[in-house]
Amino acid sequence: MSLSLAENMAAPGGALRRGATARLLGWMGDRTMLVSGLVLMALILLFCFLGGLVYPASPVAIHGHHAFQPPSGAFPLGTDQIGRDELARLIQGGFTTMVVAIPAALLTFAIGLIYGLASALLPAWVDKVLMRVLDAFLALPGLVVLIFFASLLAPSNTELILLLGLTSWPGLARLVRNEAISQRGRDFVLATRQFGGGTWYVARVHLLRVMAPILVVNFTFLLGDSVLALSGLSFLGLGVKPPMTSWGGLLQTGLNLIALNPWWMIFPSAIMIFASIVATNLIGQGILARLGEGR
Amino acid sequence: MIRMITKRLLTSILTLIILVSVVFAMTHATPGGPAFSILGQKATPAAVKALNARLGLNVPWWDQYFIWWWHLLQGRLGFSYLLNRPVTELIAEYLGNTLLLYIGAIMLSVLLSIGIGLVQGVTWGRWPARLIGAFQLAAYALPTFFVGTMFILYFGVEWQILPTGGITDLRIAHPGALDYARHLILPILTVGLLGVSGLSRYFGASVHEELNKDYVRTALAKGLTFRAVLFGHVLRNALRPLVTILGLSFPGIFVGSVLVESVFNYPGLGYLLWRSALSQDYPVVSGIVLLLGVITVVGNLLADLVNGLLDPREIYD
Repeated sequence: MSLSLAENMAAPGGALRRGATARLLGWMGDRTMLVSGLVLMALILLFCFLGGLVYPASPVAIHGHHAFQPPSGAFPLGTDQIGRDELARLIQGGFTTMVVAIPAALLTFAIGLIYGLASALLPAWVDKVLMRVLDAFLALPGLVVLIFFASLLAPSNTELILLLGLTSWPGLARLVRNEAISQRGRDFVLATRQFGGGTWYVARVHLLRVMAPILVVNFTFLLGDSVLALSGLSFLGLGVKPPMTSWGGLLQTGLNLIALNPWWMIFPSAIMIFASIVATNLIGQGILARLGEGR
Repeated sequence: MIRMITKRLLTSILTLIILVSVVFAMTHATPGGPAFSILGQKATPAAVKALNARLGLNVPWWDQYFIWWWHLLQGRLGFSYLLNRPVTELIAEYLGNTLLLYIGAIMLSVLLSIGIGLVQGVTWGRWPARLIGAFQLAAYALPTFFVGTMFILYFGVEWQILPTGGITDLRIAHPGALDYARHLILPILTVGLLGVSGLSRYFGASVHEELNKDYVRTALAKGLTFRAVLFGHVLRNALRPLVTILGLSFPGIFVGSVLVESVFNYPGLGYLLWRSALSQDYPVVSGIVLLLGVITVVGNLLADLVNGLLDPREIYD
């Protein structure tokens, strides 16, 4: 980047130069992607978790006389086909989406990390076995397996978290294993081993530390993927159960009425899903870009 | 070389054995068993027992496991509970449509990705590459089912220039093949967009990486034009990882097509899978999952072997 945001802003007036604000802007200017991703994500999370306090209308109350209305003063995002407040449902759907997607991403992350580290650090024959099993799991399309179990169990939110976590880890496991293998031959790891450092010690103290940035990056991608997977499930009618809803569920309801083109029931939830995935990817790619320059 | 190929073949067979076992375990993790989903939750124990006997579910699971293998090796995947037809027959009926959609979408996304990736790789770090990066992110972040439905809304409902779903029978449709092709355009565009978002990003990065290598500098130094280097050397080398990536992205694109096929009511495997999953028709679901797994494993094997031929260093890794 030739001109940072701070230089752009500070140059004409000169007042901001060398001030704390300028330094902050300079820091942010070099990290446009990361910062815009973080800001966007923060806004989305605020909307999901605190939106209900600012806009306390009920997401399930039915206003029969006002069914299927475009946005108005009383209902800022209109109402759905049976007269429920769309803005309240968007907030509640966001809350549900996040309380399922975030723990699901954490679970995926934990399984993938432990599996990948075990494969890289345990004796070679364990690695061979784990890798063959991993290949088999990688060959199973995650969402297809997810659809299978979701149709079977009619899952509650907790079960959805478990299902998402248990079906999406193989990609991360492979990445962690390859990364750990490339790091375990480095001098500082060999030196630690020489001084008697055990496998677990090496994993905890050295590997996790050098791998931290790449792990953070992949966690953000997992979070985006898990929002997307949950929306896909909801679209197929296998996600969060009514009367509660998720963004995917709201979008599905709107899209089912596509012939009437209820834009107020389609775009808000589509934009929220889109924004969450853009935000997580901006954060991830932003960190990756910095890592690339650091090398 | 022969030894390496044999080893690679053997590991693939081992992976397939594990895959089959995982799918078997999946179908047996069903609470209450399939009898309940056929007869309903209020079925009498006697009826359940009778049905289990008829479906061969009354023998111990290890017997079922070996019987399943025996049937698989004969190419039998069982009967659909609902449609009472062999699963292989059902899959054969829907597979053609999916392959058509899939091959069309992959060809579209590979062609577009090569073009987009070249521009992105050459202009890396400057505005055209950034613009392309933004497009790739946007295409990735838009849920496929949303894109598909928007296509239906605009091309089908508002402007009425393309059919919104299904597929016609080649034998009965009035304009025949032309109408058939018209039905394919929107689904192919939707799946293709999903493919382009990922493929073009890999390809762009790979062109950029190749351009910074020593051989490019040498070629330019000895007086070759940039164009000659780009199309003569860089393009070829940058295309190599594309084979592997196509193999790896197969399950991902298929998952996307499940959603796309259900949006367009397109009678392909994804649609069949979705309908069967909703009605808990396990033999069909496990048959499709198994088929996809096998295709992926075999596809990865082929990709590795092709790479080995293109670059013998690969196969020794």
